[in-house]
Amino acid sequence: MLRKIAFTVVLCVLGALLLTGVAVAEDKVIKIGALFPLTGPSAVSGQNCLNSVLAAAELINGAYEGFDVPLAATEGLLGGYKVEIIKADHQGKPDVAKSEAERLYNQEGVFAVIGSYNSAATKPASAVAERAKKLFLCGASSSAALTEREYKYFFRHAPTDAIEATEFTDYITYLNEKKGAGIKTLGLIYENTEFGKHAADEGKKAAAKIGLEVVADVPFNNGATNLSSEVQTLKAANPDAVFGAALGGDYSLWVRTMKQVNWLPKIAINFCTGYQNPAVQKELAGDGDYFMGGMSFSPELAKEFMPEALKVQEKFYFPLANQEFDSDSLQEAVMLLVLGQAIEKAGELDTEKVREILATETFVSPLSLSGEVAFEPGGQNIKALSVITQIKDLKYNTIYPEKFKNAEPVYPMAPWDNR
Amino acid sequence: MNTKKISDGIWYLLLAGALVLPFIPGGIENTFHGHVLTMVFLYASMAQAWNIISGYCGQTSFGHAVFFGIGAYGAAMAVVQFNSLPWYGAPVGALVAALVSIPISAPCFRLKGHYFAIATFAIVEIFNRLFMIWDWVGGAIGLDYPILEDGWRNFSWSSDKTGYYLGALFLFALVFGVVRWIDSHRMGYYLRAVREGQETAESLGVNSSLVKLSAMALSAGLAGLCGAFFAQYNYRVDPPMVMSLDMSMKFVLITILGGLGTFWGPLLGAAVLIPLQEYTRAYLAHLGSGVDLIIFGLIIIYTMIRQPTGIMGLIRGLAPRGRDASNDGGDR
Repeated sequence: MLRKIAFTVVLCVLGALLLTGVAVAEDKVIKIGALFPLTGPSAVSGQNCLNSVLAAAELINGAYEGFDVPLAATEGLLGGYKVEIIKADHQGKPDVAKSEAERLYNQEGVFAVIGSYNSAATKPASAVAERAKKLFLCGASSSAALTEREYKYFFRHAPTDAIEATEFTDYITYLNEKKGAGIKTLGLIYENTEFGKHAADEGKKAAAKIGLEVVADVPFNNGATNLSSEVQTLKAANPDAVFGAALGGDYSLWVRTMKQVNWLPKIAINFCTGYQNPAVQKELAGDGDYFMGGMSFSPELAKEFMPEALKVQEKFYFPLANQEFDSDSLQEAVMLLVLGQAIEKAGELDTEKVREILATETFVSPLSLSGEVAFEPGGQNIKALSVITQIKDLKYNTIYPEKFKNAEPVYPMAPWDNR
Repeated sequence: MNTKKISDGIWYLLLAGALVLPFIPGGIENTFHGHVLTMVFLYASMAQAWNIISGYCGQTSFGHAVFFGIGAYGAAMAVVQFNSLPWYGAPVGALVAALVSIPISAPCFRLKGHYFAIATFAIVEIFNRLFMIWDWVGGAIGLDYPILEDGWRNFSWSSDKTGYYLGALFLFALVFGVVRWIDSHRMGYYLRAVREGQETAESLGVNSSLVKLSAMALSAGLAGLCGAFFAQYNYRVDPPMVMSLDMSMKFVLITILGGLGTFWGPLLGAAVLIPLQEYTRAYLAHLGSGVDLIIFGLIIIYTMIRQPTGIMGLIRGLAPRGRDASNDGGDR
């Protein structure tokens, strides 16, 4: 009997010690949720975004010399707090994103959530945050509607579809005026989702402003197995330029189908899509050449304008992801670094104070093309910049604007039988 | 004591226990378990609504996501487009779902067996495409709820799940209550008669077309109410969320896992499948590569191989032989 009592007491003491240990450990931890599509049609991009956030957390948690990046030189935040990333998978489904966001805030007790890549998933997940007065930081979701809701606790780094669409039409104007390109008609092909529809709508608005006639408007269901009829529709309309919004595998299917039907427009420019994913371009090999797209990061661009991003990529991201950053994934890391700076400035883990700092201050961001991040009411990063690149031999050459240009565009696109 | 009395006892005990749960500290409030329980009641109700036409009446429908979606759009349109209350939109959505189900299913009922099921598959795709391009209902972008004041008036809560839980429990009591009523009344006998042999039933004076259409309308209306709850719970609706084959398969899978054509089957199916789905995702998704989905899928495959008649079949197998099963809620 006595042995049983002693055993129970020892167990209780051990349990108490364990719990105390956990409590002590938790006292020095700042939990941040990372909510991405780790499975489903956008899984590859979601995994890249997660790895990017993990890389940024590693940079914050250790003390590293030789990096001109805020928070790299000191260990942790607030004098020793480690950032712990709590991973969650929303599978690309808005309802799952909403319930996972609730679980992260309520059960895991995260201070903020970073995510969620798909705009349709980001919307309900960030609504959870807004209702609960918790922070939600978004790196890559590009739907302009996200920052038109006048939310106070939502902050987004990426340029919106509206910004990108205007840049695309500016570039077409530039080509017409400076190169006599004669681009008069536009076709749109996009996944029929929150992201794709918004991108197409913004494309149409921007086209109308410069008098570009939309002759083909072709939505498709994401995760499609065949895009023949969609591409045939484009071919029949034969627009001079095409704006595309297709993620991951849909992008490669679109490009390959264009090759099958042996048709190309004069130029094809893509919103933040499968175009900017190096893995997708490797899969396409030479077939992806001469397509264009809006980007805020490429290794070529980074060499001159974002050298610290390349260092972070080499030291922290590559070991995790075994590939280079892309625009989307890098922006998620930036948001964790910006949040870290805001926490440091606040001096404590007070959501309201950190929110106020995020809303009012400008943050140094060597991993952003503009070098800075600042948010306007509604949460949009007013310093967001993107450039137009053209891919050739797996290299993203910057072709517009002039300030960032490192190559002349190949225009019109080289025909399929002449590559 | 016969099984009918046992079934009644379990039913009332379950309702009483479920009603008391939110008032126990830590029972629901803002917990993940509260979310899971809410989803169990919602999906059990959806599956039971489907069970009326497919289980009791024997017409396997893969098109219920359409009716579920119409109900969801009913509530969301009332809130988002008309700045009104979901209480108006939900019944209208359910009514529209019931009305839409009649012209859709009438021609399909001429088909039998697999052909009927295939036709209902196509209906989901048609409605999905239609809603994708219909700008008035938000098109592909869908409808997003504004931030609403918490409470029963808006049927919206941000900091406590108790309201949603009670709402789901009411829905569950309503749908299961309707099926209990059908089960013990003439309609239940008609449904089972049509299921077991349409020609035989007609020879005995049963108007099989009317029975099937009534069952479909009732089933669609109740599925629409479930859809309205789903939209309120998620603050958003878009066609892939609600009008997809993925959603239709949930109706089917839960019922088959629990026991097709049985009163308790949908609840048992939801009670196993939903926690499995939610907890594997919550606690295993961080491992990456969809480990949670692999485990989830393997468990379903194993269950279906070992017990094709569902969990109700397993329970019956465990019950002592010679038991009175004559009044077992019309179970097959």
